[in-house]
Amino acid sequence: MPVDSDHDHEHHEHDGHGHGHGHVHPVNFDPTAAEPDPFEAAPEAGRAYRIGIGGPVGSGKTALTAALCRALGGELNLAVVTNDIYTTEDADFLRKAGVLDPSRIEAVQTGACPHTAIRDDITANLDAVDELEERFPGLDLVIIESGGDNLTAVFSRGLVDSQVFVVDVAGGDKVPRKGGPGVTTADLLVINKVDIAHLVGADMDVMTSDAHRMRGELPVITQSLVNTPDAPAVSDWVRSLLPVGAA
Amino acid sequence: MDSSVTGAGAVSLILADSRFPGGGHVHSGGLEEAVERGLIRDSADLRPFLAGRLRAAGELAAVFAAAAAHAAARGVTPRHWAVLDGELDARTPSAAQREASRAQGRGTARAAKAAWPSPVLRELLAETPRPHHPVILGAITGLSGGRPVDAASAAAYLAVSGPASAAVRLLGLDPLAVNGIVANLSHALDAVAARGAAVAGHDPRDLPAPGAPALDLLAEAHVRHHKEEVRLFAS
Amino acid sequence: MKATAELEAEFDPATGRTVLRRLRSMAPLTLLPQRTAGDVALVHLVNSATAPLGGDELALHVRVGPGAHLRLSGVAATLALPGQRGGVSAMAVHAEVAADGRFEHLPEPTVVTARARHHALLTAELDTGASLRTREVLVLGRDGERPGDLTTAMHVTRGETAVLRQELTIGDALLDASPAYLAGRRVLGTEVLVGGDADTVAPASGQWWSLTPLPTGGGLATVLAEDAVTAERELAEAVRHAG
Repeated sequence: MPVDSDHDHEHHEHDGHGHGHGHVHPVNFDPTAAEPDPFEAAPEAGRAYRIGIGGPVGSGKTALTAALCRALGGELNLAVVTNDIYTTEDADFLRKAGVLDPSRIEAVQTGACPHTAIRDDITANLDAVDELEERFPGLDLVIIESGGDNLTAVFSRGLVDSQVFVVDVAGGDKVPRKGGPGVTTADLLVINKVDIAHLVGADMDVMTSDAHRMRGELPVITQSLVNTPDAPAVSDWVRSLLPVGAA
Repeated sequence: MDSSVTGAGAVSLILADSRFPGGGHVHSGGLEEAVERGLIRDSADLRPFLAGRLRAAGELAAVFAAAAAHAAARGVTPRHWAVLDGELDARTPSAAQREASRAQGRGTARAAKAAWPSPVLRELLAETPRPHHPVILGAITGLSGGRPVDAASAAAYLAVSGPASAAVRLLGLDPLAVNGIVANLSHALDAVAARGAAVAGHDPRDLPAPGAPALDLLAEAHVRHHKEEVRLFAS
Repeated sequence: MKATAELEAEFDPATGRTVLRRLRSMAPLTLLPQRTAGDVALVHLVNSATAPLGGDELALHVRVGPGAHLRLSGVAATLALPGQRGGVSAMAVHAEVAADGRFEHLPEPTVVTARARHHALLTAELDTGASLRTREVLVLGRDGERPGDLTTAMHVTRGETAVLRQELTIGDALLDASPAYLAGRRVLGTEVLVGGDADTVAPASGQWWSLTPLPTGGGLATVLAEDAVTAERELAEAVRHAG
């Protein structure tokens, strides 16, 4: 998958620099620049854990974000970054849901390219995370909700530590079979709105078996926020990721 | 330094690449507001917008990018970076434009820490943690052996390529036509870069200060509108 | 024609008013002190009808002493006119304002007539606690007339700090028409406010005007308008937001 392979590639490049494998820039950077490690380690110690929530338009990303805030807000110091192109709408949804102090929600502008903002150039999102970390020292968790996009959109590993891809039964039971990096590589696949599967003619057995087939060992959770508004299974999955003691 | 030997000119290709991950893609440089007002509807309207933007905002960016490249190459006291940054601040009366420049400067600095680490860069960021975009862009260029004119050229190009890309995204313009417009500005781009490079060694206080009243108004209105309705771009 | 006029205002502790210590007119720059009721010293700057003319080099030096308050106003629009030999005209105002002094520079609009070539320069050096208000309204040609060339530069410093530096070039038809530059509008108005309450302005804007805080304190009001009357009205609107 492009993102993972790009990511690995970058690290090889960095190794090349660090060990002077002949790819080192010939122009004289100050020689002391190589020590100590010039490349900032990805997860700086003490920073909040970051989870990305992505998926197609209307699949229930914002509803899941709200459910996680409701479920985890009492036990974790958390904040949200929203990337929806209708930023104010999503942010308003979260604010009105009353699940989180509005000052803990940052909306970023994506320049009409939501996938670029979470994958290729993550600057605006990193700025938003930094802003929240400054505003709320000791944050445990930042949830980054992507703008609605297509099945190829994934988060950069430079932005999030884990990512959830959300699809819903109304999108058709063929979605998991279609694959794409979101379905196949996300750390968690959530199949949403299972309560209406019978209404839209989606075969849940087909969806879940396709999902598992496409994802190998990676987990799949089916849920309905109508039946379980606090998304208990996803919340537990999130808890399992956090350093012991944070939760 | 002879860039033909060192290949240092490549650094400005990296910095001017629209895929450079410095946060540039969320800035339209006033274009979104101009589109919202109906001032720009098609490729024919885009041309004068970009030409004017180049001569004003592009020229200012080129001047300071060149000055920063010159400073990085000759070696300056840390304090010099604050002075240079402050002089660009004084030439950017619109608070919205200052914020847009510093947001991109910070994004560029983040990318630079990973790509071009150096003690000088650390000094610069200690003096001005959210530097203006042309200042950090020029400093990186100079530290990598690029010439002031390389830095000026990249800064001038970015002043039009970002809004051009935004126009494609917002108006669905023909990307071939838009690219043609940008290509048509080549000579103007070179002239702007040359003028910037010509003053690169001057005292920062004496550097040119080209203004752009309409861009200032568009930038301020953009921010105000974003509080009332949705804007897709940060500037 | 070369001319340098000088104006110096000081605060008089005996009367609590600002007095003019020095007032030196030189044709075509005529300085006319006015009676006022308040503690401000008001002076009118009157240009002769045909100034600045191509070839003119005009300068005005202003000093405002500690605690003094000087207002320099225009009385009629200035027409920048071409000279017979097509030379450049220049008008430079240099102001030094001491601690707690206040200088207001409120000239009437400058009309850049066809074929004129004019340079305008304003430099203001402020001490700590000094305040400044300076306005510039530029009209691109008389009715139905294409403007000549004008460059205008403004440099405001407070101690060692640069407060505002701006240069504009007018008269390049392409640039004047660009939606990124003057957007084809005939009148550009700016007003700079530095010191006192103006050091903490909040941004405010309308369609074609804005008031924006400057990076080290102070604010700049900008207007692009179709006519001078609208420009002055919207400048006043913008400045009103500065409190």
